[in-house]
Amino acid sequence: MKRILLAEDEEVLRMLIVDALEDSDFLIDEAADGGEALRLFKINEYDLVILDYMMPVYSGLEVIEKIRKEFRNDKTKIMMLSAKSQQYEQERILEAGANYFMAKPFSPLKLIEKIEEIADEA
Amino acid sequence: MKHKHPFKKSLSRQFAVLMAGFLAFFIAGSSLLLFFQSYLNSRFNADRDKLVYLEKRSVEINRAFNKAFFDVRGYLALDNESLLQSAQAQEAIIHNLSRQVKQAALTSEDNSMAHSIDDFSVYYFKETLPKVVKDVNLGRKDLVKKLAASTSTAKVNSFQNSLDQYQKNVNNRLDNRVKDLMASQRNLQVVFIIFMVIVLLAVYLILRIMFKSAGRPLAFLAESANEIAAGREAELSVVNREDEIGALSAAFKKMVLSLQDKEKDLLAQNEELSAQQDELHAQQDELQHTLDILRQNEMNLNRRNQLIHQISNSLDKEEVLRSIVKSMCQLISADKGIITLLDSSEYASFGVSDRGVSQFRENIYNGLNDRLLSSREIYTIKREQEPAEKGFHDEIFYIYDLYLPVISSENTVMAIMVFSRFGSPFLQEQRAEFTALAKQIGLSLEKINIYEKSEKDRRLNQDIIDSVQEGIQLLDQKGNIVQINRQLAERFFPKTEQEGLLWEKWTELFEAEVEDFPGFLAFLQNSLKCENQGENEGNSFTYRVKDNSQVIKVYCENVFHNRMKVGTVLVHRDITREFEIDKMKSEFVSTVSHELRTPLASVLGFTELLLNRTLKPERQKKYLTTIYQEAERLTSLINDFLDVQRMESGSQTYEMKYTEIDPILMKVIEHQKIGISSMIDIVLELDSVKKHAVFCDPGKIEQVFTNLLSNAVKYSPNGGRITVSVHQDLKKLVIEVKDEGLGIPEEAIDKLFQKFYRIDNSDRRKIGGTGLGLAIVNEIVKAHRGEISVESEYGRGSLFRVSLPLAAGESDTGEDGTHIESAKETIQVMLIEDDKSLAELLREELLQKGMNVRSFTNGEAALSALREHIPDAIVLDIMLEKGSIDGWTFMKTLKKNSAYTDIPIFVSSALEEKEKGISHGAKDYLIKPYKLSQLSSTIMKSLEENGTRGLIHIPEN
Repeated sequence: MKRILLAEDEEVLRMLIVDALEDSDFLIDEAADGGEALRLFKINEYDLVILDYMMPVYSGLEVIEKIRKEFRNDKTKIMMLSAKSQQYEQERILEAGANYFMAKPFSPLKLIEKIEEIADEA
Repeated sequence: MKHKHPFKKSLSRQFAVLMAGFLAFFIAGSSLLLFFQSYLNSRFNADRDKLVYLEKRSVEINRAFNKAFFDVRGYLALDNESLLQSAQAQEAIIHNLSRQVKQAALTSEDNSMAHSIDDFSVYYFKETLPKVVKDVNLGRKDLVKKLAASTSTAKVNSFQNSLDQYQKNVNNRLDNRVKDLMASQRNLQVVFIIFMVIVLLAVYLILRIMFKSAGRPLAFLAESANEIAAGREAELSVVNREDEIGALSAAFKKMVLSLQDKEKDLLAQNEELSAQQDELHAQQDELQHTLDILRQNEMNLNRRNQLIHQISNSLDKEEVLRSIVKSMCQLISADKGIITLLDSSEYASFGVSDRGVSQFRENIYNGLNDRLLSSREIYTIKREQEPAEKGFHDEIFYIYDLYLPVISSENTVMAIMVFSRFGSPFLQEQRAEFTALAKQIGLSLEKINIYEKSEKDRRLNQDIIDSVQEGIQLLDQKGNIVQINRQLAERFFPKTEQEGLLWEKWTELFEAEVEDFPGFLAFLQNSLKCENQGENEGNSFTYRVKDNSQVIKVYCENVFHNRMKVGTVLVHRDITREFEIDKMKSEFVSTVSHELRTPLASVLGFTELLLNRTLKPERQKKYLTTIYQEAERLTSLINDFLDVQRMESGSQTYEMKYTEIDPILMKVIEHQKIGISSMIDIVLELDSVKKHAVFCDPGKIEQVFTNLLSNAVKYSPNGGRITVSVHQDLKKLVIEVKDEGLGIPEEAIDKLFQKFYRIDNSDRRKIGGTGLGLAIVNEIVKAHRGEISVESEYGRGSLFRVSLPLAAGESDTGEDGTHIESAKETIQVMLIEDDKSLAELLREELLQKGMNVRSFTNGEAALSALREHIPDAIVLDIMLEKGSIDGWTFMKTLKKNSAYTDIPIFVSSALEEKEKGISHGAKDYLIKPYKLSQLSSTIMKSLEENGTRGLIHIPEN
């Protein structure tokens, strides 16, 4: 069973994603901010990390940088959810080390599709 | 005839022989005399010494005999042996003395004396004394007496007499010796005198001979020489002698002859020389004359050079005019002069009185100048001296006036010069020279005119570019600064020399100031290479100033002159504000988009799930509720955005009314109480029964407290008491909203009222909100000239304090809510406006805002109406109807009367003279056209600031 870390400060959106993925076979850990996400990341091993861009404590971008540079983890896939959908923001996010990018508002069905695709790849 | 005698040949030899002879004679004579005298002396001394010696011995002998006689008598008498012995001892002494006498004997007398002494001695000591002694010893004194009486006594006496005689003889001989010496010395003196006479005679003879043989011929020669030297004929009969004098006189004669020859030669030469000298004198005079002319010319040239130098050296017109007049006066030896320009009022004079100058300049186009202006040629006038010019002279002198036009290159007279010279006329060739000088002056003046014009243009250009807000710099092809405007200079080169700075230098100065200098430098280099043009993107560069993080955009334009590139203009524009606004805008857009997308994501996501999945009814309801809540959040977000946008852009309008706060607070609390947790208790505390009225927009104030209360509720997730209290603090109404909730971290307090600020705290994230609530509260409170502050203890709760200015007078009314309406009606406004339709519009507006309006079209009418009733405010137009005083006069009249000075005047005029209006005492000045609401709000605000006296005392009906 694949394990997913979901970091999103909006409770409603976390609920949406968790609910959308309820039929799939994933173990999902939820974090409400960047700090919590990093704490969980250190404890557990995840196949996929889904990060919101704007989060308290550490932003999504900072979390990516910490995972990739500080923890030297290139293996774990990272998906960034962001309301900042401009091209240059996307580039910045991918450059920082994210593997996927999904713009808010997103389609939960497409998100499931994408996540399953990633899980299959892994 | 010749004498072979050697003495004749030499005077000195003659003289030497004479002197030698004389000296020999003199020395021989005197030494003879001296020797003779010393011989006499020494002989005398020797005789005298011996005589004295003999005398002394004879005395001693006498004494010795006497002693012997005495002792013998003593012996005889006393029979003392020792006395006998003493007498016998005398014999040896006497013998000795007699021997001495013999040795020193000079004459036979001495010798015989000596012998008789010896004889007596023998007789006495050898014969008589032993007999006596024998007799005595035998005691036969009688025999002794007999002996004595017989012979011995007689012998002794005769001996003693002869001894005395001898002594006397010696003395006599001594006296004779002295007498002899004296006599011989007298003789010697006579001989000496004779000798001296002979010597003197000899000297006389020698001198006489010397004079004869040398002195006289020399004197004769000297006299002849003097005669010849004096140029007279002198007989030079050669002294026929062979000695030096003869040689001298021969040589002298020869010399005289040769001198006479030489003199003749010299005289001839002298004549020749004097002729030559005359010639030289003539030449010298000629040269001197030429030199004078040359010098004169040189001086003229110098002065001319000086003139040209001075007038070309300066570009200051006044200075140049002064030096022209001065130099020209020197150059033409004028006593006074003036130059005056025709196209301007500038002039300069030398030696002319002020009165003279102004008189000349007043009549510049009349009189004599007229001729000058038309002929454009130099001319002179001869006139008699004026009495003032005469000084102390009473003769008649003439003065020559020189009128000299300065001709421009366009052949017009640009200046007139007049010079006066006392006494000497101007010559024709001088005039030509002066005309040439005038031409030179003309050129210089034209040059100055051109310079002044270009300088003026340059200044104008500099002023223009200085007045531009942007920094401008003009670079030459190499990048050196040619010109720079003030803005740029002050920003980057505060103290250095600004123009003419080399590329290296000024870019170095920039390096210290500019962030990303390499990029800036690259841009500058491209600009110089013509690669950037205009202000388009890419052709400009934006840099930040290090100190104040100003953002400056610089763009370049090449400057062409006749299609040739002459330089590059760089324009530095401060876009800090635009940049910041831009940044804020993009941040705002970005934040807004984020804030909107989040609820939108929920709405769309859950809708998608609802549409695509078969869900249980509870799940469906939960999703729909979520969708509804998120949609509501979206709505309130959009409303808040719009509010903030309006408030920030200033387009938010407030409907200001006198409003009681208490009912609003009650209403808000009631609203908040709906559907909150039972753990929260909301309490309203009022400090008194008084009604608290403020001048505000009730809707907005309601929004303020709704936001504050909902925050308090939201941030009290664990319940608690929320207290809303109202109290009066001086002229302010203070409303406090206090909760016992989460509190605010200290570092967050400053940022609390910023847009989209939400405290980074996961607890708080759950609470939600737009992040705009407090920003809106802040804007509204500020718009009401109120204040908002926060006190908070993290984890213990927060206190928001809003203070609003109290509406004055409300406390006196004690009326119910309707009083607000009546208060509004009591503001009395006097409207003075001649345009009737505009007056009607204004009246409508003011009436709508609840004010009472009396309209006037005429200033005087308004003034007389003031006497009956003093309004709370006057709205005044400046341009009033014909025949009326204008607004300025109206204001002046009002301000003179102390009863009216307090009435606030609001000028409403099309004239853009706000400053004048304010200085005349206007409270505010609105320039037509303006929004109608602006007038009423201005009046309201102003009245409120002033304590709204109208509200206090105006009773109505």
